[in-house]
Amino acid sequence: MDTLEVQPLNESRRLVPSPSDRRPLEPWQDPKAAPYVRIERVTKQFGDVYAVDDVSLNIFQGEFFSLLGSSGCGKSTLLRLLAGLEYPTSGRIYIDGVDVTDVPPYSRPVNMMFQSYALFPHMTVEQNIEFGLKQDRLPRRERAERVGEMLDLLRITELRKRRPDQLSGGQRQRVALARSLAKHPKLLLLDEPLGALDKRLRENTQFELVNLQERLGITFVTVTHDQEEAMTMSSRIAVMDAGQIMQVDTPTAIYEFPNGRFVAEFIGSVNLFEGKIVEIQGDDVLIEAQFGGLMQMRSLQPHPIGTPVVVAIRPEKLRLCQTPSDDGVNRLQGVVEDIAYLGDVSIYRIRTGGGTLVEMTLTNIQPRTEQALTWEQEVWVEWSPTSGVVLTE
Amino acid sequence: MTRLSKRSKRLRPSGEHRLSRLINIGLPYLWLGLFFLLPFAIVLRISLAEPLLAQPPYTALWEWAEQGILQIRLNLGNFQLIREDDIYLAALLNSLWVALVGTLGCLLLGYPMAYAIATAPERRRILLLMLIILPFWTSFLIRVYAWIGILNANGLLNNFLLWLGVIDTPLKILHTQTAVYIGVIYSYLPFMILPLYANLTRLDPTLLEAAADLGCRPWRAFTRVTLPLSLPGIVAGSMLVFIPVVGEFVIPDLLGSPGSLMIGKLMWTEFFANKDWPLASALAIVLLAVLVVPFVLMQRLQQDDEDGRT
Repeated sequence: MDTLEVQPLNESRRLVPSPSDRRPLEPWQDPKAAPYVRIERVTKQFGDVYAVDDVSLNIFQGEFFSLLGSSGCGKSTLLRLLAGLEYPTSGRIYIDGVDVTDVPPYSRPVNMMFQSYALFPHMTVEQNIEFGLKQDRLPRRERAERVGEMLDLLRITELRKRRPDQLSGGQRQRVALARSLAKHPKLLLLDEPLGALDKRLRENTQFELVNLQERLGITFVTVTHDQEEAMTMSSRIAVMDAGQIMQVDTPTAIYEFPNGRFVAEFIGSVNLFEGKIVEIQGDDVLIEAQFGGLMQMRSLQPHPIGTPVVVAIRPEKLRLCQTPSDDGVNRLQGVVEDIAYLGDVSIYRIRTGGGTLVEMTLTNIQPRTEQALTWEQEVWVEWSPTSGVVLTE
Repeated sequence: MTRLSKRSKRLRPSGEHRLSRLINIGLPYLWLGLFFLLPFAIVLRISLAEPLLAQPPYTALWEWAEQGILQIRLNLGNFQLIREDDIYLAALLNSLWVALVGTLGCLLLGYPMAYAIATAPERRRILLLMLIILPFWTSFLIRVYAWIGILNANGLLNNFLLWLGVIDTPLKILHTQTAVYIGVIYSYLPFMILPLYANLTRLDPTLLEAAADLGCRPWRAFTRVTLPLSLPGIVAGSMLVFIPVVGEFVIPDLLGSPGSLMIGKLMWTEFFANKDWPLASALAIVLLAVLVVPFVLMQRLQQDDEDGRT
């Protein structure tokens, strides 16, 4: 049951926004759009540790927003600041235009799904889901209706009389989600929502979460350390490091146009070539590479001659040739040092003349046996000016 | 044929294994039998005898009459007496009442203390726990004696209150029921705090965060989450206080009024002053029955609750 997609239900239909009030797909591009969550220069200190360091962030209604970073980067603290479980040392937080900086968690229009799920062990599934509704003093009939709606939505009706210790990990995750959705929050915070699930279940649940979010029209803010998960689910990703936000952008932009070395290296694999700009040719710049030779790259920002730069190129954007081709602008000669066969793709590591190790991936279009490449073979690695980005840090 | 016999041999527990299993299971039972069941049987047997000015001071339960006939004499008179003489019932009820007040007092005082210790920073917790356990280093008797000095008409408490000007004449606390309550609560507080502390430290603090997130103010989160989850600790602590207080002898003897009787004190009188061992034993049996029956009932109830879950 854990692997199925969410099916539309009558009870939950009123949660789904009608097509007319569907918001534009990229509200952050619209200068007139008011952000639903506004984090203004928020800092959170624990002793002399800056868990969150001067962070400003806008999150728009209906977004599936991910805070991505390695453990200890401050992403969970930022989420807890939104929930009201921590209060900022300085800065302000606005939700739906209201300053909630000093509002305690029980008065915020926000619900959270905890990483450990935090289900009440002395209550049944039903009672867990009903808990938040009871705090709102909803009449009994309405409560029962809502609980039924949530049980249906997450397809856990048959579990309603069980206690948390009688549930599997995947079932607990559903109950936790149902409990946090029961109050119809406008903003749902999810702390590593899929962290405790095994890989296969996680992949299925990723799509299910996105479907659920789209149907309910609720703004989701999730915390994750899994870049693949963030890429799959998010409308936008904020990459965090040491309490600061390094880059906020769509998954595509984060991957294709990282704004710095940290983000480029954090998301996926990347080849970094250091060098110095020596000449500007229209949109392109000529870079004297440290490995010896010139690189011609498209630069999105103008840089003066002499700027030290790093060229970041993804492994799949490199071309591998057995003889140098005519149209290859940038070219490196080397020998195949390692081949890792992953089924769908193979990873090749090429040792260039200058000693640099270049990593590249090739899709295995042909059956493996017909591939000509082998160890110690001499090859050329080529790429065009638009295959990578020029970073200054 | 040989193979088969070999296999069947392996399936049977070896002699060595059987011996270790016997020791493992047998030893605790032997202990319980020797030090709980046997003494209980002896007390039961004495309770069915009659007092005698002899050594031992009670009649034999059975004797060999002439012609090899075994004569057994069961004397239920002691139980009859306990039932008929109101003093025993009054003492029993008073004991239960003191135990109830003492338990409630310990719970009301002990719960906040246990909660404070459980939520204190890790390093301070050990110190606070030490402070709870520290009084055990001194003899129980001396600690109760010390309360006489505090509660006396000319004691520390009265002098302090007089000095403050709260009262003009010394309060009579010593040798009243109030002094017994104070003594009981003081002496048994650690037995309430320790199981409660053990329970409360295991409480997952994210559960309270979840409650707050779902709209619970702190007090409601306490009553809806912390309190129900700490129920096993409350039950354990209450039993550790209630059961020994019912039979308590030292505290009412030293601090209580001579007029108000407790069952423990009565037993002591029957044993040592009146030398009526059978009656004292009968009292002990009655007390045991009064304490064991609710205990068994409660355990049955808990069992039912757990069965209902699965």
